[in-house]
Amino acid sequence: MEIIYSVFNTLLGAGPIVLLPIIITIIGLIFRVKVIKAFRSGLIIAIGFAGIKLVISLLSDNLGPAAKAMVQNFGIKLDILDVGWGAIAAVTWSSPIIPLLIAGILLTNVIMLAFKLTDTLDVDIWNYHHMAIVGIMVYFVTGNVFIGLGAAVVMAIISFKLADWTAPAVEKYFGIPGISLPTMSALSSVIIAAPLNKLIDQIPVVNKIDFSAKDAQKYLGFFGEPIFMGLILGAGIGALAEYKLTDIFALGVNMAAVMILIPKMTSLFMEGLMPISEAAKKLTKEKFKGRKFLIGLDAAVVVGDSTVITTALIIIPLTILMAAIIPGNRVLPFADLAVIPFRVALVVALCKGNLFRSILIGLVCTSAILLAGTATSPVLTGLASSVGIDLSASGGISSFAATSLTVSYLVYTAFVSNLMISLPILAAVIIGVWIYIEKNYKGNKQDGGAEAIKEV
Amino acid sequence: MKKVLVACGNGIATSTVVAEKIREACKENGVDVSVTQCKLMEVESKAEGYDLMVTTGMFTGGKVNVPVVGAISLLTGFGEEETIEKILSYLK
Repeated sequence: MEIIYSVFNTLLGAGPIVLLPIIITIIGLIFRVKVIKAFRSGLIIAIGFAGIKLVISLLSDNLGPAAKAMVQNFGIKLDILDVGWGAIAAVTWSSPIIPLLIAGILLTNVIMLAFKLTDTLDVDIWNYHHMAIVGIMVYFVTGNVFIGLGAAVVMAIISFKLADWTAPAVEKYFGIPGISLPTMSALSSVIIAAPLNKLIDQIPVVNKIDFSAKDAQKYLGFFGEPIFMGLILGAGIGALAEYKLTDIFALGVNMAAVMILIPKMTSLFMEGLMPISEAAKKLTKEKFKGRKFLIGLDAAVVVGDSTVITTALIIIPLTILMAAIIPGNRVLPFADLAVIPFRVALVVALCKGNLFRSILIGLVCTSAILLAGTATSPVLTGLASSVGIDLSASGGISSFAATSLTVSYLVYTAFVSNLMISLPILAAVIIGVWIYIEKNYKGNKQDGGAEAIKEV
Repeated sequence: MKKVLVACGNGIATSTVVAEKIREACKENGVDVSVTQCKLMEVESKAEGYDLMVTTGMFTGGKVNVPVVGAISLLTGFGEEETIEKILSYLK
């Protein structure tokens, strides 16, 4: 026993580059992937991690000092860098407790399916990272594996239920039947959007407002292109930092590089996980043969809608503006501006394509993300530093994923508070919303009216 | 060699799955192909010069001058073969 313990500790100390091939091989073997193939997956993912680490230091070393100078010059206190969801996913997959969390989440899905508590079959293992990160952050704070596992399982339950409840809206608005979207990065906005949309319905005059912006793509299209986004933001912050002209341009080009390189590195994670994800799909499909269910897919399948793109293009610059003016926010939006379409996709579906409402509610959602991101940045920064990502040049990190997402933030907060009080409240709220929605929207459950979740 | 552009929401997750499946199918059928991934929001400026664009979900967001195939079936696993056939028919 002692030997096992010391081997385990040595491995932990070696960091993700050593740990990842081992962890992923274990996860692969659980899903009956061949050893060599599983190990290859682990190796590719470890390479992705090495790449992410390089790019994050490029970001932190260049943008960090500029953001600090900007704070000094103009008092715009945006010193927490948005490093993007890809970096967060990398931290998530390199946690030593990830095999346990993945198994817990998958088992939760299987049990809920077996007892007909959900219709969503979610074997999109890749997107488990949105649920797992909450467990990992809770574990990082509490040091208790079981509380961490509990948090991940609660995230899973909420993801599957919100996916069930939004499936009719997804089918109706986007026209894709038979699927649901258990991707928390998209679902989280629903708990803000559903009650707000209902509220707007009640306000005379305002509830009639709608407009279209068919030229938005022509004029705002560059906000959708990462290289220009990176260049403009980098150069803009360089200017506010009162850098020399050449240095301003250099920061712009470096940030454009970060915007392009982060997804390239993250796609290595995806490539590595694919054989495992496919094996899990096969395994679970055999188990539930004959049962009609919704296939859980990545929300990427709906962000191609033109209203979603238009809404996102308008919200991107407005979110940067909000970041500067919301009191208390310290997050400098950057890498995750590229995934704003995910944050607004279901808002658009709930508002049935009403652009006025989508933009208004979408902005509330991104503002909530900024504030939760500011609040949980110290924990995320500590976690990232603990796996060897050097962030000394910046005032901390955040993203538009992890506990910045409203649902994740609430679950995280509940699990790191006084459990005797917070857990019963959380359970009561989830069960209350569950009963309310399934009772009122039977057969037409398209309004994920999870108002009460906000009050935790 | 034929060039295929695979676009999805972030150019990472679902497009990797679809791109891998296209590469595999082309290899099996002896089709020489180069597959590139990108974000849906970039396709208007990127699509030129490709023989085919494949999207992983629904796509109404822009105009491109190349044939477009929707490949959500490669993610759900229902109707996978038909979609692969359709993609190959543009590349042979």
